[in-house]
Amino acid sequence: MKAYRWVVRGVYAFFGVVIVAVVAFKVFQPVQVLPRVRLAPGFILVDQDGQPVTNEDMRGKVVLYAFFYTRCPGDCYGVISTLQAVQAQGPRIMGDIPFRIVLISVDPAHDTPEVLRAYAQRVGARPEVWIFATQPDPKRLKMLVGGGFNAYYDIQPDGSVRLDPHYVLVDGWGIVRGEYKYETLASTQERILRHLGVLAEEIRNSQGSAKLAYEAAHFFLCYAP
Amino acid sequence: MRNLSRGLWLGVGAVLLIVLGWWAWDRFRPYAFHGTVLQSAEPAFDFELQSADGPVRLSDFRGKVVLLYFGYTFCPDVCPTTLFEVQRTMELLGDDADQVQLIMISVDPARDTPERLKEYVQYFHPSFIGVTGSEDAIAEVATHYGIYYQKHEGTPATGYLVDHTATITVIDRKGYVKLVFPYGTPAEDMAADLAYLIRH
Repeated sequence: MKAYRWVVRGVYAFFGVVIVAVVAFKVFQPVQVLPRVRLAPGFILVDQDGQPVTNEDMRGKVVLYAFFYTRCPGDCYGVISTLQAVQAQGPRIMGDIPFRIVLISVDPAHDTPEVLRAYAQRVGARPEVWIFATQPDPKRLKMLVGGGFNAYYDIQPDGSVRLDPHYVLVDGWGIVRGEYKYETLASTQERILRHLGVLAEEIRNSQGSAKLAYEAAHFFLCYAP
Repeated sequence: MRNLSRGLWLGVGAVLLIVLGWWAWDRFRPYAFHGTVLQSAEPAFDFELQSADGPVRLSDFRGKVVLLYFGYTFCPDVCPTTLFEVQRTMELLGDDADQVQLIMISVDPARDTPERLKEYVQYFHPSFIGVTGSEDAIAEVATHYGIYYQKHEGTPATGYLVDHTATITVIDRKGYVKLVFPYGTPAEDMAADLAYLIRH
């Protein structure tokens, strides 16, 4: 009968280990991920060289989208300095994973490709990383920026623009993985750069047995702050 | 005799632990989907478009797994290839196929009438539905589902062609976007994922 008791204890121990392992995974979060928020919108835009740029061109690349207009005063609510920092550090963080910044103008009446190209040069954008673009049709632009990216902007009757700074991080499968709308204790720039690192780790480990750990992290909502 | 009994119990215990371990792994390991997974907190974008049998809303199909495909009836290769693969998926699903609804949304509303769409999609499977709408309505739905499309010149025989994203978006029974199948996903993989969504 002693042996029988050992078997029962063994079964209890087994379930105990499983439960402790699951709780430890959730509490200590050895693997963190970014949520798979929703599908990123489909689009066709015109870039600073007058060439079409589409969401299909961005497939397979990690892309940070942001919104601005060239007449926006100064640093445009911090958008330009944030993207300059992301341009400087993002490609190094991503390593061999293709990375792009797409900055979309919400003021197509003024921001022609020539204006965008001049602005890109002024802020030191590297064309292989940082693309400037817009959609000439204001209705389609509103559909994309407001409806697809959930970013707020409004063209006033006098032609001036109201804009809330907004950044959207999209993975190579066309899925939104991060949205940066509100300031927190950590700056937007810090959070974006940290999240690029988290996403790069997940992409590098998305094959083989490590993939299971990442899927478990999604299942248990182990999201990076 | 006593040693034999103890050995027997320990052997039974070892087998039991192996069986339990296997059961727990099989039961609790995350299912590895073949498609790209989403965990959207917002319901899928609802729409109302026109079929030959009247208006169709995405929300009409709550309770079924919906496959959204954007294509057009003049499509020379990608659309028929994809729809044949979904047809094969439906065959592989057997009785579960009636829990799945494919809706093809036209990216060529100028040429695809509701009647033409119905004839086209039902060639592949009698349950398939084809819908169309105004240019703006189609553009809005396509934007929300990450679909790019653009007309470009074809030949005099084909007329113009439409480049478009060729993914299939899967919406679960509660109305949330759950999966995206890239172009070329085999029917076996789609059927396995859809069967899992139907059962869970």
